[in-house]
Amino acid sequence: MAQIRLKNVSKRWGKFVGVDNFNLDIADQEFLVLLGPSGCGKTTTMRMIAGLEEITEGEVWIGDQMVNKLEPKDRDISMVFQSYGLYPNMTVYENIRFPLKVRKVPKEQHHERVMAASKMVELDDFLERRPAALSGGQRQRVALARAIVREPNAFLMDEPLSNLDAKLRVSTRAQIKNLHHTLKRTTVYVTHDQIEAMTLADRVVVMNKGVVQQVGTPMEIYDQPANTFVASFIGSPAMNLVNGMIADGVFTSDGIRIEGLPHRASGAVTLGFRAEDANLAEANGQIEAPIYTVELLGEATMLSMRVAGELVSIKVGKDYRAEIGELARIAIPASACHIFDQSTGARIEA
Amino acid sequence: MPNKTFFAFILPSLIAMVLFIALPIVSVVVQSLYVSHEQILVEVENCQPFGGCSTELRVDSAATAALRDEQPLGRFNGLGTYVNRAHLATTELGVILSSERSFGEKWGQILNLPFYKALIFTLVYCFFVTPLAMALGFTIALAVNALPKVTKGPIIFFSLLPMIITPLIGSLILYWMLSPNGILGATIQHIFNDPTLSLRASPALTWGALLTYGVWTNAPFSFVVFYAGLQTVPGDTLESAMIDGASRWERIRYVIIPHLAPLATFVALVQLMDNFRVFEPIVGFSAEANATSLSWLIYNDLTGDSQQFGSAGATSVLTILGVVILLSPVLVRTWREFKHKAV
Amino acid sequence: MSEAMAHKRPVLLNTFIYGFIILWLILAAVPFLWTVWGSFKVEADFFSRESWWNAIFGTATIRETGAAFTGDGYYGAWITRDFWKAAFNTIIVTICVTTISLTLGTLGGYALARSGRNYAFWILIAALVFRAMPHITLVSGYLLPFFQLNIWGVLPTSIIVLVAINQPFTLWMLHSFFLSIPKDLDESAMVDGCTRFQAFRLVIMPVMWPGVVTTGLFSFLLGYNDFAVTAMLLSADNQTMVPKISSFLGSIQETGNVMFAVAAVVSATVPLFILVLFFQRQIVSGLTAGAVKG
Repeated sequence: MAQIRLKNVSKRWGKFVGVDNFNLDIADQEFLVLLGPSGCGKTTTMRMIAGLEEITEGEVWIGDQMVNKLEPKDRDISMVFQSYGLYPNMTVYENIRFPLKVRKVPKEQHHERVMAASKMVELDDFLERRPAALSGGQRQRVALARAIVREPNAFLMDEPLSNLDAKLRVSTRAQIKNLHHTLKRTTVYVTHDQIEAMTLADRVVVMNKGVVQQVGTPMEIYDQPANTFVASFIGSPAMNLVNGMIADGVFTSDGIRIEGLPHRASGAVTLGFRAEDANLAEANGQIEAPIYTVELLGEATMLSMRVAGELVSIKVGKDYRAEIGELARIAIPASACHIFDQSTGARIEA
Repeated sequence: MPNKTFFAFILPSLIAMVLFIALPIVSVVVQSLYVSHEQILVEVENCQPFGGCSTELRVDSAATAALRDEQPLGRFNGLGTYVNRAHLATTELGVILSSERSFGEKWGQILNLPFYKALIFTLVYCFFVTPLAMALGFTIALAVNALPKVTKGPIIFFSLLPMIITPLIGSLILYWMLSPNGILGATIQHIFNDPTLSLRASPALTWGALLTYGVWTNAPFSFVVFYAGLQTVPGDTLESAMIDGASRWERIRYVIIPHLAPLATFVALVQLMDNFRVFEPIVGFSAEANATSLSWLIYNDLTGDSQQFGSAGATSVLTILGVVILLSPVLVRTWREFKHKAV
Repeated sequence: MSEAMAHKRPVLLNTFIYGFIILWLILAAVPFLWTVWGSFKVEADFFSRESWWNAIFGTATIRETGAAFTGDGYYGAWITRDFWKAAFNTIIVTICVTTISLTLGTLGGYALARSGRNYAFWILIAALVFRAMPHITLVSGYLLPFFQLNIWGVLPTSIIVLVAINQPFTLWMLHSFFLSIPKDLDESAMVDGCTRFQAFRLVIMPVMWPGVVTTGLFSFLLGYNDFAVTAMLLSADNQTMVPKISSFLGSIQETGNVMFAVAAVVSATVPLFILVLFFQRQIVSGLTAGAVKG
């Protein structure tokens, strides 16, 4: 059993706040993703769980033990590092075996467990090589094998895919998902890539500047972003955000007018909508503006136009063609609109 | 890394530095405030059978030795040592400066005060050798960079020799060549047509020889660092400068020199530190009659028949102050950056 | 790039470049070659008033010994004047200084590279200031206490002092070297079940040798080239080569045996030649490591 619990955890260096009052319960066997831009404190949070970073304030619990004062080796976790941290002087076999050796696991088990772990990540053919003679993807799998060979309580993964090329990233992502299903261990996974977060996570924690922005399932953070930061961070392209005024369920700004919103609020707000929720309007649409660019994506066409000083993206059918500068009318259903407080950025519910 | 682990790792090194670098500095400061005991004199009545009696002052060597054993530091002298003639010479300096003589004469008199003589040579050595050695090193680096690759290994091998050589040995080798019977010394006499010209007789020649030695032994370091720096000059920038029509000299002036500027600061700092403690060449060239340095003064105090710890201590403290002044730009900058980072 | 451009360089510039390099090589190498050559002559040749060609052909050497080369200087220095003892002491001092410096320095440098706390920063700055201290000022602080403690004059004292004086540089050098070893490496080891020290021993030590060798070369040079410490802290019986050579100067020049000193100087230079010959790459990388990062 390995729930991981963070209670009011903070990390400060002098006056600089790395992580501010982080609270979270990670359930046993959950796949939790920490997501955010670089410098948001996600890696620091994970390193505090691992014991590689001292905790300035608060408590970290693994299972039913407070681990603040424990050395990393005593926390029964394993970790995959961004640049893998493979031991260059050891063969792949020795690398994978290293955790067993230093933890004094009985010698007779070593071979069997190394072979099992390396089979799981399809490394059996490379066991006698040194890390320098491996490709990036193979090194990544050595790091994975080294993490799973010990069968720890929890896995921590720090941007494990960021050093791989795009194609390999997709296949390794699938492999990690599959491993998690097989091994059924609590996993904490740090990434700045929202697609990785969406595809892998049971739950996602979105962080910015050391503060948790939203905790939820991938669908929750996609469909109901808690604030403009989450809205702009999740999805590709990011959610369109336009500043304007709302009163009596009507949002207005330069070049845009949306009626029939269920929101009771009035005053300065930010309107958010996703590119795929908007559409071409037959007659009078909610947006009427000249086209800025037309980009062909293959499965669709992306239009962008300037509305209230912002460039907004609209996903339309793959056969749509138009010239730059042509006037386009866009329809946005009121049900697809998100309203955020303009000053705080917080979501305003209907 | 937790504090405990950190100190477990660094403790041996810290202890060594505290015991043998920090404490000696304290010890030097304390020593500089003391001077050795005067000899204890006793009046002895000296009676001769027919000459009557006379009293005579004699050194009581047993009592003197006992006192020195008991209080090895000597007696407290406050700042006395600092202001005496062998150091800051405040009285003498005041007399010289207030006299009605010409500037040249005053200068000559100041040069006769041992501390100022050493200080002036040390500073001249520092600020003459450092830039010149850097310029020479930079030129060598540019030239070597233009040569075919195969020649570089041997050139670097020979270039490293003047730097890697033991300072005392390096200066001895040059000294022997420059002595009146050596190849260079004889040649110089021949050129100037002056058979009496020698290191011993000519202060100018001595200074010239010491400064030449300084440039010779310092240039390789600049060369190696600048040569490594030249390998990292971005090719794109050089090529775009070429396309923009920059001449060879302009490429050096506007691309290469700015790229090497941070390295130059580093080299200048290291070489100033090293040149400030110039010492071995003075011994090697037997130059003490014509040129001395602060380090040499201390050495001289410590090696004489009676070791003058107080005097050596005072010169050491003044030298350390000099080092701190030299380093102060670096320390101030570091401190500012640190404060900036903390806020 | 430079080779491609060589074709376009004006002849005049090329001449200047080659001329300049040849001139520099003469300046750098000839004093050594001259002294090595001259060390096999008699004094009347090496210090010849008549003509320096005597030193090359050995006119007086042939007259005095019957051959153009003589080992008298070496015999006099090594056997008659016990230079072998000084050489032996130098070997002890340099080996001890290098190994102890490196042992302390790797531990300390590693801690400094991995700490990231303010005090680590200040220790490095203090080390920089210590690095700038003229050695002789420190020596003047040692003498009195060492006399009192009765530890003056023996090799171990000098060794410890040289190790301490060498620490600031060693710490800086190894600190920047350890910074170049990814932190991931020892952190994985710690997650895999090592204590900090085990991680250092099992994972960092196997990969740190290039940096240690480079730093070791400079520790060696410091111990080997030192004059201030060994001249002041060693008694006449325990002298190493450099102070021994300096003590030759006073006594030998009067008796006309300056060639002993020349031979001793050449003998002490040979190990440095060999060092540069075999470790040129490491010396160059060591000189530039601090510079490129600093």
